[in-house]
Amino acid sequence: MRLKEGHAATAAFSGILVAASLLFAQSWTPPKTSWGDPDLQGTWTSDDQRDVPFERPAQFGNRRYLTDEEFADRARQVDKAQTEIVGQGIRPNSGYWARQQGVNAAAAPPYFQEFSRHAARQTSLVVDPPNGRVPPLTKEAQELRAAVNKVRNRRPESWLDRSMYDRCITRGVAGSAFPVIYGNGTQIVQAPGVVAIRYEMIHETRIIPLDRPGNARPHAPATLRTNMGDARGHWEGNTLVVETTNFIGGRNGVGVNGNGAAPYSDDLKLVERFTRVDAKNIQYEMTVNDPKTYTAPWTVAFPITHEDGYQIFEYACHEGNYAMHNLLSAARAEDAAEEK
Amino acid sequence: MPAAMLAAWGLMSPLAVQRPATAKAAYRAPRAADGHADIGGIWEALGTANWDLEDHPSMGGPYFQMGSIGAVPSGRGVVEGGTIPYKPEALAKKQENFANRWKLDPEVKCYMPGIPRATYMPYPFQIVQSAKVILMAYEYASTNRVINMEKPVEASVDTWMGTQNGHWEGDTLVVDNTGFNNLSWFDRAGDFHSDALHVVERFTPMDASHLNYEATIEDPKVFTGLWKISMPLYRRVEKEAQLAEFKCVEYAEELLYGDLRKKTTK
Repeated sequence: MRLKEGHAATAAFSGILVAASLLFAQSWTPPKTSWGDPDLQGTWTSDDQRDVPFERPAQFGNRRYLTDEEFADRARQVDKAQTEIVGQGIRPNSGYWARQQGVNAAAAPPYFQEFSRHAARQTSLVVDPPNGRVPPLTKEAQELRAAVNKVRNRRPESWLDRSMYDRCITRGVAGSAFPVIYGNGTQIVQAPGVVAIRYEMIHETRIIPLDRPGNARPHAPATLRTNMGDARGHWEGNTLVVETTNFIGGRNGVGVNGNGAAPYSDDLKLVERFTRVDAKNIQYEMTVNDPKTYTAPWTVAFPITHEDGYQIFEYACHEGNYAMHNLLSAARAEDAAEEK
Repeated sequence: MPAAMLAAWGLMSPLAVQRPATAKAAYRAPRAADGHADIGGIWEALGTANWDLEDHPSMGGPYFQMGSIGAVPSGRGVVEGGTIPYKPEALAKKQENFANRWKLDPEVKCYMPGIPRATYMPYPFQIVQSAKVILMAYEYASTNRVINMEKPVEASVDTWMGTQNGHWEGDTLVVDNTGFNNLSWFDRAGDFHSDALHVVERFTPMDASHLNYEATIEDPKVFTGLWKISMPLYRRVEKEAQLAEFKCVEYAEELLYGDLRKKTTK
């Protein structure tokens, strides 16, 4: 649905679309590549999940989806936000709209943000445990969290005090997958024996070799660790299952932009599932296993959506990281002022 | 496309006129699922093009602590005709770049390499070949680019890696690159370009383990004419070949921000 077609109608139509997609999910036959794998290719975005809280607000209890009434209310809010930004001459994914529709969109907050186009039904991105909350941290992880927070919250002594995201290095796999203010594009490219997943922000590419179920080639040795991990993929029916290990612990966390409750450990294992449920949606699911950090496994799930015209742009984060220079020089200026 | 149309297209495109004599015509590459030549896999350039596209003698590096590890190996150039045709004022800038290369080379700062440099960095890259797009993912700095194989698109914004439209000419993947910024270099010797850069690359299978790589470079702000580089690309044939991760930002931070460390810490 395009905004220009009349956003007043968006709320009503969104409800119908979601209901319709749930119905069609039963009978819809996913496309296959010419060599017979399920076809997940294309550009997808998690923009529509931007308004869904990561953890579930207590009022919803164990309820995963909004009621019709709550959903209509959220749809009204999404519509209101869209109406406001459109009124300012801005379109969601403003770069695209500026170019395609001749809209004169300024590149400044909130204009460079991406926005939900359709309201989402979920009450939280975390879907398991049933209360939609990240399980309690282990004692070690709590201590690590306290140490990290202390460093993050102080006047930066160097770039090392900032997150891997601030430093434009990586947000890790989880941080790359979860919806944020912009750059939520994911592009999937397939060839026989391989699935490549490209994330817009920080320009990450994961190249996932495919094996037969139960016959995965072994992971890299434990001595070889990376920020994006060592991925192995296989198909279970129409679902791409990706198991990733060999992460570098103690840096990023499992959370938005790699800022989780606490940094994950070397033992982190992520199991992701990508299932195309209709022409416009892939259901994405990530189960987090890290007993050194969390007292139980937990799962995040949400759909990523194909939106005509949505495209991924180059994200040259480090090349343009004036923020790091500026926050460090500001910190040193404050140091100097205190010495006087 | 009929041969006559191809020829007409060739006449219209100044870069296509210089149709190079490429790999042995006899070799027919295996087919991808869409019937085109399959060039998927992990590839890497050998040689010293990333040090200097032109002929260059060996020389010491700037840091004696690194001894012979930090020295520059000699190598034959990869520029057809031997010399890059700089305009006089551009040549002066290249020489200034060369003099300051250990400080100014974007590679030192872990910046994206641009095209064609990404191809011959001393790191492998992987081609994931699909019908509508071809992904090239580079180990260096997690750089990547996606070549559009459908209706050509115009660059909407200048970028480090440019905007790429590809098509097949027989078994050769031809990639037309535009929309570059003026920030990347061609090598560690200070060879540079402007935002008017236009690069046409040709990837031609030579045999199961080699691609012939050519890039024709046009930039009227910097060069007096077109020039061309070529080199083989080698398939990484190790059984467990996989792109490694080289996120070099953290190795450049001390260089970039070191003067902004808190004075009492180290």
